[in-house]
Amino acid sequence: MVSAKRITAGYGDAVVVSDVSFDVHESEIFAILGRSGCGKTTLFKVLMGLVEPTSGEVFLDGDHVVLVGDSGSERFLRKIGVLFQSGALFSSMTIAENVALPLRQQTSLPEGTIEHIVRLKLTQVGLAGFESHLPAELSGGMQKRAALARAMALDPKILFFDEPSAGLDPVTSAQLDRLILEINKSLGTTVVIVTHELASVLTVADRVIMLDRDERTIIAQGSPAELASSDDARVRDFFTRAPA
Amino acid sequence: MDEAPETSTRSDDDRSTIGAAEETASREASASSGSGFEVKLLNKSFDELHFGLSGVVRMENARQVLDAIIEAIAAEPLRNVALDLGEVEYFDSSGVAVLIEVRQKCHVMGNRFRVVHPGPEIQRLLDLVDFEHYAPACVLVPRGEPGVLVQVGEGTEKVLTTGRDILTFIGASVVAMAKDLSSPRTARWDGFWRLMERAGTDAVPIVTALSFLMGAILAFQAAIQLRKFGANIFVADLVSVSICVEMGPLLTAIIIAGRSGAAFAAHIGTMRVTEEIDALSVMAIDPIRYLVTPRVLAVALVCPCLTLFADIVGVAGGCIVAASSLDLTPTTYFNQVQKILEVSDVLKGLTKSFAYGVEVAMIGCLRGFQVRGGAESVGSAATSAVVTSVFVIVVTDAIFSMLFHYVRLL
Repeated sequence: MVSAKRITAGYGDAVVVSDVSFDVHESEIFAILGRSGCGKTTLFKVLMGLVEPTSGEVFLDGDHVVLVGDSGSERFLRKIGVLFQSGALFSSMTIAENVALPLRQQTSLPEGTIEHIVRLKLTQVGLAGFESHLPAELSGGMQKRAALARAMALDPKILFFDEPSAGLDPVTSAQLDRLILEINKSLGTTVVIVTHELASVLTVADRVIMLDRDERTIIAQGSPAELASSDDARVRDFFTRAPA
Repeated sequence: MDEAPETSTRSDDDRSTIGAAEETASREASASSGSGFEVKLLNKSFDELHFGLSGVVRMENARQVLDAIIEAIAAEPLRNVALDLGEVEYFDSSGVAVLIEVRQKCHVMGNRFRVVHPGPEIQRLLDLVDFEHYAPACVLVPRGEPGVLVQVGEGTEKVLTTGRDILTFIGASVVAMAKDLSSPRTARWDGFWRLMERAGTDAVPIVTALSFLMGAILAFQAAIQLRKFGANIFVADLVSVSICVEMGPLLTAIIIAGRSGAAFAAHIGTMRVTEEIDALSVMAIDPIRYLVTPRVLAVALVCPCLTLFADIVGVAGGCIVAASSLDLTPTTYFNQVQKILEVSDVLKGLTKSFAYGVEVAMIGCLRGFQVRGGAESVGSAATSAVVTSVFVIVVTDAIFSMLFHYVRLL
């Protein structure tokens, strides 16, 4: 479903990730792990066309990923939903209007139908009854869930999550993990998560790759359990939270 | 979704396709590149119509699916309608919305609508919205406006709050500036030169272009009238005095309001949204002293410099027009300028310009500090900074004009 082939990316002369290749299978929950500064976010942005790689290619459901805004980007953008770290909800719109935005812009559905979908999505994330609230009137966890409802509005095949647990308490974070699992199971959505939250990875991820800041590439891949018992000290330290 | 439909009593003989509906459906199906659907009448018992929906229902064709189902139901006189979902291959959220819409439309038409043989995934989605008891609610209707009394009350409160904010801000800024000027070593001068460069040097091209054009326009307008009386030489008087006393300072201040005032409001407003102002406060750094003082001083200093530059370029713009269309030589023009223009005229303009600079920077910073909420509020702050600055500049100009007039009389 997601195929990254020999990706090298960076900013200016600085190479952040080098020669990274991996495949994410359909209906899989795939996590990209690593310490701060290892290039997770850069790789994440490359996957959805927000950053152009220096070399290499990405395919999303068979579509070649180009820079967002270039011709051909609409094809793969229609298949993905993205939950940004901050939620990125539009502060001037109500929660319902935030969720309705992609439906109004990308489909020709009548307003009544859009309204039903908005209510369905907000019910799915447990925010029924909060439709008329502005983002600022919601807690951090609720904002994240509202942003998830917006990311799911068009029923994308692939959902990208950037640090979904960032800034959330453990209970809210666990609720969000459960929601990710539910969406993955019920809709068969492929999920790609960028995170460094161990608890979250161990709960939701089917498969994991781990990036390293010094190597600038993948140093381990497999199931979370396999990585937790890795022989590589860098991987083991990460899972045991041992200071370097 | 992929579950086989439950046992049904329908047979091929019973299946009479609804012409219009199928025609519409097939046409749309072929248009949606393989993601087609079909609405068929499977069975017509004595009191119930039994339709079958098959194929794919997704965002792209949901509207056509809805139209096809409604058209099919409306074409039959029977009031009880069942929709069989047993042969649906793909069904996303828009499918649920379509079913809700059909159910509501059936209710309006006086029909009873029910869904049969939904797969477990469809059933799960239907349960999620409580399909059987789904009540319409207008969640996308904009929030209602409050009553007139509430609006008047809120408006009054806002005016009072804004007034208090302005007074507090002016007081805090004066105190901060006094502290900085009395003990310059503790002031933050590192960003000061950069601010002067941005507000001053970077504005030189636009100030040059506009003041040159302003001088030229004034000369053109004056030339048309003065030529009639053979008083061409007075073009130099008009251009030089009006540019140095009024137009130069005004034009420069308005440019600075549009550039620096709006930038200060947006910058400080964004800092407020991202809690950077709070971060300064808890680090025991006075945000006013850290952010406002250098900006006000920088703009207050560059504004007269830019005005002087605008005066020179504006008078030169008038000279070009005078030389090209009024048969005046540049020497005659500048001799006349020297004769009529007094140093006090230029100083008046520069004094006003200094005041405008202080006002524009203060207003920009104040609007930034007043930001509450998110991106929209930052946009409003930037707009408000420019509009308020222009208003205050013109009011100040009027005050200065009266002041200079009465001072001369004394």
